[in-house]
Amino acid sequence: MVEIRSPSVRRGWSESVRARASEIVKQYPDPRSAVMPLLYLAMAEEGYLTDNGMREVAGAVGLTPAQVRAVASFYTMYKRENPGRYLISCCTSISCMLLGSDEVLGAIEDESDVAAGETDPEGLISVEHVECIGACGGAPAVTVNYELIEGMTTEKARELVRWLRAARPEAIVGAECQELFGGRRSFDWGPFDRDSALGPYPAFGPLGTVSGPAGEQDG
Amino acid sequence: MAEPVTVTINRRAVSAQPGEMLIKTAQDNGVYIPRFCWHPRMNPVGMCRMCLVEIETPRGPLMVTSCTTPVSDGMTVDTTNPTVKKAQEGVLEFLLINHPLDCPVCDRAGECPLQDQTMAYGPGESRFVEEKRHFEKPIPISELVMLDRERCILCARCTRFSEEISGDPLIEFQERGNYTEVNTFPDEPFRSYFSGNTVQICPVGALTATPYRFRARPWDLTFVESTCQHCSSGDRINLQSSQNRLLRILGVDSEPTNQGWLSDKCRFGFEYVASPARLTSPLVRDSEGELREASWGEALDYAARALGEVISSSGGRAVAGLGGARGTNEDAYAFSKFLRAAVGTNSVDCQMDDGLDPRLLSGVVDRARIADLESAGSILVWGPDLKEEHPTLYLRVRRAAQELGAGLVVVHPRATGLDDRASVKVTYRPGQGGQVLSELMDGAGRMAEAREVLSKGPVVALLGRPGYGESPDLAEATAAFVRSLPDARVMPLARRGNVFGALDMGLSPALLPGRAQRGTLAAQMLADRWGELPASSGRDCRGILEGLESGGIEALVLMGADPVRDVPDGELARRALGNAGVVVAIDQFLTDSSRMADVVFPAMGFSEVEGTVTNIEGRVLKVNRLTPGPGQSRPDWAILSDLAGRMGVDLGLVSAQQISGEIEELADIYRGVNWERLDWEDRDGIVVSGDLGYVPVFSHVASVDPRPGEMALHYARTMYDDGVMMRESPSLSPLAPGCAAHLHPSDAARLGVGEGDPVDVKSASGSLRAGVVIDPSVEPGVVYVPFNQPDTPSLGSVLGVVVES
Ligand code: SF4
Ligand code: FES
Ligand code: FES
Repeated sequence: MVEIRSPSVRRGWSESVRARASEIVKQYPDPRSAVMPLLYLAMAEEGYLTDNGMREVAGAVGLTPAQVRAVASFYTMYKRENPGRYLISCCTSISCMLLGSDEVLGAIEDESDVAAGETDPEGLISVEHVECIGACGGAPAVTVNYELIEGMTTEKARELVRWLRAARPEAIVGAECQELFGGRRSFDWGPFDRDSALGPYPAFGPLGTVSGPAGEQDG
Repeated sequence: MAEPVTVTINRRAVSAQPGEMLIKTAQDNGVYIPRFCWHPRMNPVGMCRMCLVEIETPRGPLMVTSCTTPVSDGMTVDTTNPTVKKAQEGVLEFLLINHPLDCPVCDRAGECPLQDQTMAYGPGESRFVEEKRHFEKPIPISELVMLDRERCILCARCTRFSEEISGDPLIEFQERGNYTEVNTFPDEPFRSYFSGNTVQICPVGALTATPYRFRARPWDLTFVESTCQHCSSGDRINLQSSQNRLLRILGVDSEPTNQGWLSDKCRFGFEYVASPARLTSPLVRDSEGELREASWGEALDYAARALGEVISSSGGRAVAGLGGARGTNEDAYAFSKFLRAAVGTNSVDCQMDDGLDPRLLSGVVDRARIADLESAGSILVWGPDLKEEHPTLYLRVRRAAQELGAGLVVVHPRATGLDDRASVKVTYRPGQGGQVLSELMDGAGRMAEAREVLSKGPVVALLGRPGYGESPDLAEATAAFVRSLPDARVMPLARRGNVFGALDMGLSPALLPGRAQRGTLAAQMLADRWGELPASSGRDCRGILEGLESGGIEALVLMGADPVRDVPDGELARRALGNAGVVVAIDQFLTDSSRMADVVFPAMGFSEVEGTVTNIEGRVLKVNRLTPGPGQSRPDWAILSDLAGRMGVDLGLVSAQQISGEIEELADIYRGVNWERLDWEDRDGIVVSGDLGYVPVFSHVASVDPRPGEMALHYARTMYDDGVMMRESPSLSPLAPGCAAHLHPSDAARLGVGEGDPVDVKSASGSLRAGVVIDPSVEPGVVYVPFNQPDTPSLGSVLGVVVES
């Protein structure tokens, strides 16, 4: 326990978010192990990681905000600046690069008129290039809001951008996008089930599934 | 200890403890391996790669970092061959890639490990022609520390220190790869009580201390080893000055006490020494009632006459002395001798009505040493928050609990710095201590776990007064109980720098030098030297103040004591001094107390006098002189000796060293403790044992409830407060937390107040107005007020206070 006194009373998480956080913390033998999923929770809550969010995470896992920020700033998938509503991440590591990711990224940038690392003025689309996202078998690959689409081509990439602009989907569901824009997959993902798909951030049940938040439905 | 193994380092066979890191084995055997990140008091990380060496393996020679490679039997190591040399050059070339090489304007230049090792092991030139990385030049990361990220070599010493040692990781590596930097959270400064240690161990000039920046070059410094006097742990320090001005204090790695670390109070709390407010001339009160400068002769005559008149009309017992816990043993001895032999009184106290029974403090049977913490099975801390009052002891307890696996039970009325390492933390309402103790003794219910932890011996119990509302009997009763625990040892806590030495010199009504009690053979031997000892029993601090108020005591001699600010019931002290017929003060400053004196003598102090001190475990250590005292100031003993002379008594004191010899002669337990030994072979000090064998008495401490409408007051000290030394140290004085009333959220709601709102806190002996701090760590019904904050009146040692919005 570290004595830190907040200089002023700050806006904190709501009770329901705190409750979810403590659900997540309970899944680990040592609270500090929950720091990474909680950072996703903080991102889901405010759209990106704010100082406030990191402070809340620190409080929930018993670390100092500096320690939490050390983790958050190490990983590029934690965004500390507000990205657009749709974040297109294009892998440019070796496998993807050999199979044409530079062209895919170029197509995305061109179609969206957003350079890698930037967001359009409307705040709708952000584009970035990222290191290997573990989909080398389906290279070149991109993610949209961390939902994977494999076997990309330049045409499909342009289509994807146009679709995001026009359809403005509520939630991005990888399986659906794969169907619409993807090509060859690294392996068979199996049939899609909305109730087990864990959007909007991957792999953390307590954050809720694509059908809705976990536990009680909260507004 | 395990069987030693044999390792061959540079073709020489040496023996080592298995598990020890190669770098340490080499160093212990005279082979220095360059390093940046490895620190003997912290866990290795292998961060900087400077310590590469080559070892033989079945698959051929292998390059390893010697700071992360444990020795094993038969290991063959080469630390100097051409491969190793090439590696060292490579590592240094890399480390210098982003280093700005701004040595000419860097404080560290001249004592910089990066500079030194580049000279010794580095390549002459760099092949790096690209742009170095740039950061804003030094940024403040706290009031005391500046960080220059361009100079940082990312060794993680500072971050490891704050996580492993001090337990407040407010700095961490941020970002990644080429962008990695040390930093704090944007609005959470590195406000650690121990931040200065990171400056001392940073191997480059990335971390610098605001109080020292640009003050001196290392080669201009003169230095001497000494002992810190801010608390009673006896931390070893290195005093450094330039042009007769104290400029810096560094921690010395002394195994029995501070192990290299210091609190920021020890490290930066020396600025008062050169304060313009220091007294430079004697002062006497003139006919208008004002203190005015006087010559030494006039002031001594004045004081001798005034004291002499009281003695001849009402006897020596009408005179009392307070103080002595801030100076050396030699000065304390002189004070004891002055009061008993020249004045004829036993009314003397070096504690300020805030401590424990002196027999318990310095004479308890089975008294613990600090080193006992290293082998403790479990530790009980029931007393002040160690982090606030005994900072380096706090680090030792923390280490025992965190690194050495001791169980830890902490009992305190609110959050303490050790809570995160405690196996069991008991929070209670002040006044309920007796109840908590009997529950702990029963070991039933909620205390079952605490008793379970404490069943693992050896047990070390650190016991003191958690706050001033609590009875001092509680610590003694707890000490009595603790004796029933397995292999238990007790360390009674008192905080003032040399309070244990002062007690050993007899600055307490019932004690005489050498922990002798009045009426014993030792006392008789003392009388042979000192002349007849006063027969009447004396009064302690509270008794003295009450005596002054009621008239039973007429004159008071203060030696480095400020009862008006330092006694919990400051108002009592103020009335007492106001009512005293004669007050003679020996002091470095005009304090709230010495301001009320009739005569004030300017005293030399820390870094100006030579002598010995005795720490919390009875370890005698040397303090040394580096700077001259201001103006006409003189050492305490010399003032007392002259004063006695004018009163017609020759105390026979000629120098501090002669007094040390006299102590050695007269105080049996100090036999063999002399300056020569302490200056040379025993710089870590000599423990004087020969305890009184005082067996703590168990008494039932009744639980006290505040009266209806009142809240229980937790009144306790903080590291930074408004004591005169802190007030006169500009770097630290702004850090005092200030007057505050900590309330449980439920009480704040009841009173209808929020964070920062003002409330009035009223006790029987004083009242103050304070801003509310919402503090869930206190129990409902409790208000915590930090003691002795700037511009704050005192509340007294009371339990109940009325809190109103
Ligand atoms: S600031 Fe100093 S101690 Fe901290 S990582 Fe950098 S070089 Fe090491
Ligand atoms: S290289 Fe693109 S997913 Fe691995
Ligand atoms: S000292 Fe061994 S890697 Fe730094």
